[in-house]
Amino acid sequence: MSAPAATLSVRIGEVERTLPTIRTGNLGRVPLVEFIGDPEFTNAAAQAMLALIPEGTEILLTVVTNALPLTHELSDRSGLPYVCARKKRRTYMRGPMIQDVPSLSLGVAETLWLDGPHAARLAGKRVAIVQDVIVSGGTAQALAKFVVQAGGTVSGYLAAFSRGESAVRVSALHALPVSV
Amino acid sequence: MTTHTVHVGRVTRDLPIVPVAPGVSVALFNMLGDTDVTEEAGRELAKLLPPEIDVLVTPEVKALSLAHVISRESGKPYVVIRKTQKPYMVNPIAREVVSITTGKPQLLVLDGFDVPKIRGHKVAIVDDVVSSGGTLHSLRQIIEEVGGEVAAVLAVFTEGDERPEVTALGHLPLYT
Repeated sequence: MSAPAATLSVRIGEVERTLPTIRTGNLGRVPLVEFIGDPEFTNAAAQAMLALIPEGTEILLTVVTNALPLTHELSDRSGLPYVCARKKRRTYMRGPMIQDVPSLSLGVAETLWLDGPHAARLAGKRVAIVQDVIVSGGTAQALAKFVVQAGGTVSGYLAAFSRGESAVRVSALHALPVSV
Repeated sequence: MTTHTVHVGRVTRDLPIVPVAPGVSVALFNMLGDTDVTEEAGRELAKLLPPEIDVLVTPEVKALSLAHVISRESGKPYVVIRKTQKPYMVNPIAREVVSITTGKPQLLVLDGFDVPKIRGHKVAIVDDVVSSGGTLHSLRQIIEEVGGEVAAVLAVFTEGDERPEVTALGHLPLYT
């Protein structure tokens, strides 16, 4: 079977983008969402995601890298602060928390690091997990473990896009197909 | 804990002084998770951006949201140089650099897809802190190799040595 041009168009507010697709081992072609380098798309998504923030949320938690400008805009527009987990240990971290993510899409386990002083900002707070795209929910679950470990509670999971069946209940602007 | 007080536009922060290598401490400026500082610094630096600049180039991760805000405020696009090579990159260009906050050699990678945004254009490098200048040197090499011209360097802070070629909002001491 010959495949047609493998792209996918999405629209958020007034902004439309054609998503490129990349070939992965076991899924065929999957759509690639890029907020980095695209302030217009980032801002449109952040504006639309304001409505997805669960009531009572006091702080946002995200992870580097693709969701970072998105979470910054969401934070600035909502007035809610945010905390960001890293994928590498940094020498300046003080008492970091560590969580492993069993990644299905890449077939490689990832480790997330949350610097101690940043984790302390989640204590006693209702925390919304923010990602650009939630697929299996493995990363979202690892972030949720940080929240619990830090003494906070998870108010919900939000993402610009979901793709496939996630292990967590996600509020997303759009559901992307598992493969194109 | 000892701290160092800084002002970024209208906001003030007490930066913790933390060791990053034997005998070396820095006043740790981390904009990740600090929306107010990022907005304030981005808006101030956007005002200082020379009008002839075509594109901003920033290394991931800590300066990423800063570049986003400067881009949003100035209308100039931004390109991110990554620290790992991604499977979807087209003809990536890579350089190794030793950073003071990591102490280890790290990779800087430009996706070939982004090369046309830099080639033949005037580039402003955007970073959070310019310290030893190692990252800056490697960024400059990559940009020039693909035919871009580094016409400005913007940072929130310089650190250690004064750097007249860097447009910064302030200066941080290096504790040795």
